[in-house]
Amino acid sequence: MGDSSSDDENAWVFYKDRPEWKDVDPVPQDDGNADIAAIRYTAKFKDVYDYFRAVLTKQEKSERALQLTKDAAELNPANYTVWQFRRDILKALNKDLYEELEYSQHIIDEHPKNYQVWHHRRVLVEWLKDASKELHLTELILNDDAKNYHAWQHRQWAIKTFNLFENELAYVDQLIQDDIRNNSAWNQRYFVINNTSGFTCEVLKSEIKYTLEKIKIAKENESAWNYLRGLLLHDKEGLSKNETVTNYCEELYSSGNRSPFLLAFLVDMCDEQVSQGGGDMRYTLERAEELCNSLANQYDKIRTKYWQYMAEKIKNKAEGKSEPSPPSDDS
Amino acid sequence: MNIDPENKCVLNRKVHIKYLLRFLEGLPSEFTSCDTTRITIAYFIISSLDILNSLNLVDAERRNHIIEWIYSLQVVNDEDLVSGFQGSSTVNTLFNRNSNSLYKWSHLAGTYCGLCSLIILGDDLSKVNRGAIIKSLKSLQLTDGCFTGAKSGTENDMRFLFMAASICYILNDWSAIDATKAIGFIKNSISYDYGIGQGPELESHGGSSYCAVATLCLINKLNVLSTMQIEGLRRWLLNRQVTGFQGRPNKPIDTCYSFWVGAALKMLNAFQYSNYEDNRGFILATQNNIVGGFSKWVNTHSDPLHTYLGLAGLSLIGEKGLNDIVPSLNITYRALEHLRHIQLQWT
Repeated sequence: MGDSSSDDENAWVFYKDRPEWKDVDPVPQDDGNADIAAIRYTAKFKDVYDYFRAVLTKQEKSERALQLTKDAAELNPANYTVWQFRRDILKALNKDLYEELEYSQHIIDEHPKNYQVWHHRRVLVEWLKDASKELHLTELILNDDAKNYHAWQHRQWAIKTFNLFENELAYVDQLIQDDIRNNSAWNQRYFVINNTSGFTCEVLKSEIKYTLEKIKIAKENESAWNYLRGLLLHDKEGLSKNETVTNYCEELYSSGNRSPFLLAFLVDMCDEQVSQGGGDMRYTLERAEELCNSLANQYDKIRTKYWQYMAEKIKNKAEGKSEPSPPSDDS
Repeated sequence: MNIDPENKCVLNRKVHIKYLLRFLEGLPSEFTSCDTTRITIAYFIISSLDILNSLNLVDAERRNHIIEWIYSLQVVNDEDLVSGFQGSSTVNTLFNRNSNSLYKWSHLAGTYCGLCSLIILGDDLSKVNRGAIIKSLKSLQLTDGCFTGAKSGTENDMRFLFMAASICYILNDWSAIDATKAIGFIKNSISYDYGIGQGPELESHGGSSYCAVATLCLINKLNVLSTMQIEGLRRWLLNRQVTGFQGRPNKPIDTCYSFWVGAALKMLNAFQYSNYEDNRGFILATQNNIVGGFSKWVNTHSDPLHTYLGLAGLSLIGEKGLNDIVPSLNITYRALEHLRHIQLQWT
């Protein structure tokens, strides 16, 4: 947040004291006199924005105005009008957009969670029709925070718009190796496969193998379990009939593992079998109830009420009743 | 986690009210990054006071000042289709007072927070130019069904779809939204884990899941979700609870998700399966007993957003002394009742 008091604060010359701005009258903000959630602006902030309003009013699209937008953006990178006006000046002066691209990298690096700086970047890339620097930029940002939503959103957009899928799976793989719990990376894995090979039988098989290996490393990792469930959405047989998966889960269970995600997966397999009938005899109503009980009472106690509800729901389904109705909550 | 046993179980109303009243008057200079969204800060403060049943501490004259200030941010400009409310007066000058000018544009967040604040303060919305707002709003829907935040220069994602739906709900006019397209956008944003992202193929997120569910709730179309989708989303949302709630799997818990995730669960009729006690314990541990307010994590700086969403989160679990919050619109039921009353005058 904010107006950092940098070391060069003393060297800062107010716009009102700059000879090259002598011809411009500062334009104060008109906020009424109510002082509602009014920000106590620093003198520097007020000065810069008084001159920003002045060039905005005059529609002055000049080199000095361009420089001014930089100061305004640095004081508040979330000001989308500043960025909009800056873009309008860039166009009017026919500026070198690659230079601007470089500047935008610098400012994204300083404010990686700011919506407006990423939007500025995206417009520049659209104008240039050149996304060759986007993978590198987002990698830099993800090096610091591998789950930065803005970076992932920008990266997905660039990859999809400019077809940059080629090395993405290797990158995702690296990230998952670095942090097996990086849910953003798992999501990106799904994104890449969905947009390239698709989840063909063969891909499904290898992805299941990959995921089960990752679950073996961290059995309480929700990201990997969710991904496994996502993969099985592409299995026409459903959740409970893929032998590789059922065998894996049963072995894990027999070995004594009680990861809540494993137990939940088994509950869902029972649920599916109870409502579809047939198939694997291991997945019964009784087993569902038993699993729900152990989740409720021992392995996932924060969701006790949920697992009690699930047990009842599956039971009702088996008996042909409708879903249990919880105390009603209007919204 | 370092939970101070002394403040673990009590909501420190007094200190929060003081904090809110102080911030309503003015914000320290570190808040410059909120300079274009002051109306949102004002909404957080006003709605917080409403939840605390303490709006009466803002006297009638002051309330009128606030209402006037909000109306001073209203833009009526059918020509450029930028009608609505600005987020603040940053680009307003004596030159463009009461007139239109380039870049004097409304923003969806400004319109949503402005309207909510007016309702909460008891205004009758008679000075709101509903026709102009709806006309401009319509121009912000994109071909994929989502909305962009303003005429130009802003991004588009699930947040803006939610704000657009809220504005239509408040103004009781749905002509600005192509609902089929909006629903399509939401459905396309459901991830393989049944959570919902900011847009198609993006990672599931507690905030965007809230926006998507609230949108469906406001347009009365929750029934477009299949049983699988509802059950899956309920599970995904419930799994966000650690003690408080996180926004994504394997991320730290944060006060604001007690509301975003909690409210989404409430709309899906599954909030009662979460653990209120642990949730409450975490939210209360993030309150600051000296300066007031709530922060995202224990022992960090409090801020208006987390203060509001902390209180709203507590309201969802029925904390004593707090007014109940409407999970979809994010104002109190008391304020909603006032809105209903206003809407009756329109028909």
